[in-house]
Amino acid sequence: MSESNGFEPRIVAYVCNWCTYLGADLAGTNRLEYPPNIRIIRLPCTGRIDFNLIVKAFEMGADSVLVSGCHPGDCHYTAGNYHARRRWMLFRDLLDAMGIDLRRIHFTWISAAEGKKFQRVVTEITEQTRALGPYEDYRKVVEGGAC
Amino acid sequence: MLEELRQTCRALLADGKADVVIGYAQDDPAMPAYPVFVTRPEDADRLVWNEMCLPNLVAYLTRPEIKALGKPAVVVKGCDERALVVLAREGQVDRGEMVAIGVACDGVGKPREAKCSICDVHQPRYADVVMGQAKNEPVDAAARYAEVEEFLKKTPVERMAFWREELSRCVKCYACRQVCPLCYCTRCIADKNQPQCIDTSATLKGNFAWHLTRAFHLAGRCAGCDECTRACPVGINLRLLNLTLARSAEAQFGYRSGMDPEAKPVVGSYSLQDKEEFIR
Amino acid sequence: MSEIISQEKLRRLVGEWISAGKRVYGPRRPKPGPVLYAWLKAADELLLDGYVRPANSIKEVVFPRHEVLYSYRLEGKKISMGEPEPLSAERIVVGARPCDAASLTILDHVFNWDYKDSFYNRRRELTTVITVACSRHDAHCFCTSVGLAPDAERGSDVLLIDLGDGSYEARCVTEKGRKLLAGLTEQSSKTGRVPPGPEPKFDPSEIRSILEGNFDSPLWQELTLRCMGCGACSYSCPTCHCFDIADEGNARAGARARNWDSCQFGLFTLHASGHNPRTRQGQRQRQRLLHKFSIYPAKFGEVLCTGCGNCTRNCPVSLGVQTVLQQAVKRVPVTNGSETAAKSA
Repeated sequence: MSESNGFEPRIVAYVCNWCTYLGADLAGTNRLEYPPNIRIIRLPCTGRIDFNLIVKAFEMGADSVLVSGCHPGDCHYTAGNYHARRRWMLFRDLLDAMGIDLRRIHFTWISAAEGKKFQRVVTEITEQTRALGPYEDYRKVVEGGAC
Repeated sequence: MLEELRQTCRALLADGKADVVIGYAQDDPAMPAYPVFVTRPEDADRLVWNEMCLPNLVAYLTRPEIKALGKPAVVVKGCDERALVVLAREGQVDRGEMVAIGVACDGVGKPREAKCSICDVHQPRYADVVMGQAKNEPVDAAARYAEVEEFLKKTPVERMAFWREELSRCVKCYACRQVCPLCYCTRCIADKNQPQCIDTSATLKGNFAWHLTRAFHLAGRCAGCDECTRACPVGINLRLLNLTLARSAEAQFGYRSGMDPEAKPVVGSYSLQDKEEFIR
Repeated sequence: MSEIISQEKLRRLVGEWISAGKRVYGPRRPKPGPVLYAWLKAADELLLDGYVRPANSIKEVVFPRHEVLYSYRLEGKKISMGEPEPLSAERIVVGARPCDAASLTILDHVFNWDYKDSFYNRRRELTTVITVACSRHDAHCFCTSVGLAPDAERGSDVLLIDLGDGSYEARCVTEKGRKLLAGLTEQSSKTGRVPPGPEPKFDPSEIRSILEGNFDSPLWQELTLRCMGCGACSYSCPTCHCFDIADEGNARAGARARNWDSCQFGLFTLHASGHNPRTRQGQRQRQRLLHKFSIYPAKFGEVLCTGCGNCTRNCPVSLGVQTVLQQAVKRVPVTNGSETAAKSA
């Protein structure tokens, strides 16, 4: 817990069921500690992740978003993560052009065996977000009210 | 060229090769030309072609009321033709069951539309018959995306402030969606309300959600006809948003929509070599 | 004897009103492109010349595009409901056109008919309208066809007429107008005159008979086949007032709001059963014309249109009320005593 200003980052993670979710589970069974700031949302595959979900997370007050799935070549549905990767390549440029902070959106490949990687990534992202502070910009858009 | 266009259309209708010609008509030369649906050969004289022929007629090919008229022949400028190529690639039109009448174009609009100064499709390339002659000079990518490059010189904070101002004017009329030839979903995600993914309200939240969604649903598909920008009643610079994604698609995948009927679409295909330096 | 006010003084007043916390709504050009009415943040944003009319209307002031009706918040098991803050800031429209001001008196009927709409009425009470008479028009204007004129006073609290020398004759039409400009005008012997408006393009009662007598005619589908079904006409129209009620929010908080809607959207008449009485754009366009020129007059005694021309100007395919009605008048057989021949297009 931070004693300086009490800001606890809220991180939303969209993870695929077959790799990253099991990786997170492995971190748990191995008693690997990671910050509790993360809220995990399980989806069948990264290919199912609509880019709107990332926007929605920010709308709902997330300070950072993590999207994680199987390594290329290991997708449970063969190619879901390839499609996702392609979408992310384009979507990042759109978000950047809109002025949305790309430092708050993270993409990783974490397999079911990589409990340690999950611990490391979540810890890194939490600390990075803590340093960046709360994500006010998009919240101001959301609370903008009538134009 | 006009007489040739009218004669071609007259013949298509008389010979039964088309049931309806979708072209342009104009009541007053000072006013924009408007879409017209000619079903009788004798009405082909209503057709015009000039620099006031702005609408993208390809948008009509997916509308049920127009499809009900029968086999269409559609007048296309180079930019319109790009949309036709995308529609054919996406299986929304059967190129064999329609006639594309290309018209060579030097630019439209008074004042001239911004898209015309970076156009490299003055001469339609895939139409079944082409009226007129124009040259297709290649335009280099730096010129094509100059507007985006200029915009990206702003800091992220400035960019968001810009879009906040632009999108605050949006009234959610959906003119941008309705005129777009590639927004053909019979049930748009914005019309879905269980759950409501995109607020219909014209608040900043709803406007950002709508425009982000529409821009992204056109990623790698938008043909750059700029009809959305022209149709917007409050002058939002939608062109800039679409160009941003077009630039991304070209820079990352060497892809420009509607330029090659055989090319695999950007979204919907993938490569094992897609770069992933941003993925941990 | 008349009252006059200089443009410079008007602009200064606008600055004072803004500083005093009043909300001023007037034409501005945010960037190269259309002139639009908007809430002004500074007096130098106000644009009073160099255009025919703004591309939108002043209805936003009394009927905003998004209006929260009430809100909710859930905290554990506790549900709290809230209403929006009661409005108190005075609103002043500066630089309306006569075709915009007139729309307010026309909208008053429907918002006070079987139900007194407190949201509309509160905003209406708080609003004062300063109209600038038209010194020019374009081919899309047709106010004179619907009983208005470039210097019509309907709906205005003050009507300003350009004297051509940087000042306006200020005609205070209502008590509200007199109160707003009390002591701020000067006496003068000059009076303003406006050039004549457009030639009337059609007769509304003839339109009404044509609409009512030709409901099933294929004419409507033919004339409006090119309509793309966007809401640009409805949303830029000073008198269109259809709205949708939307519930937006999540498990923690949300609100019920009223948003602009358009009869041109396919979903407008979609029933929960899945049935849609208006599946074709021709039916939707016919409905819009009937509403404006037949149904509203039958109910409230006036046409739901002020002839501003925004529908045609904003239409991406050059439709709009004037275009369609002029064509309808030409195409429909007119029986007028001995005159029974169909007028050909």
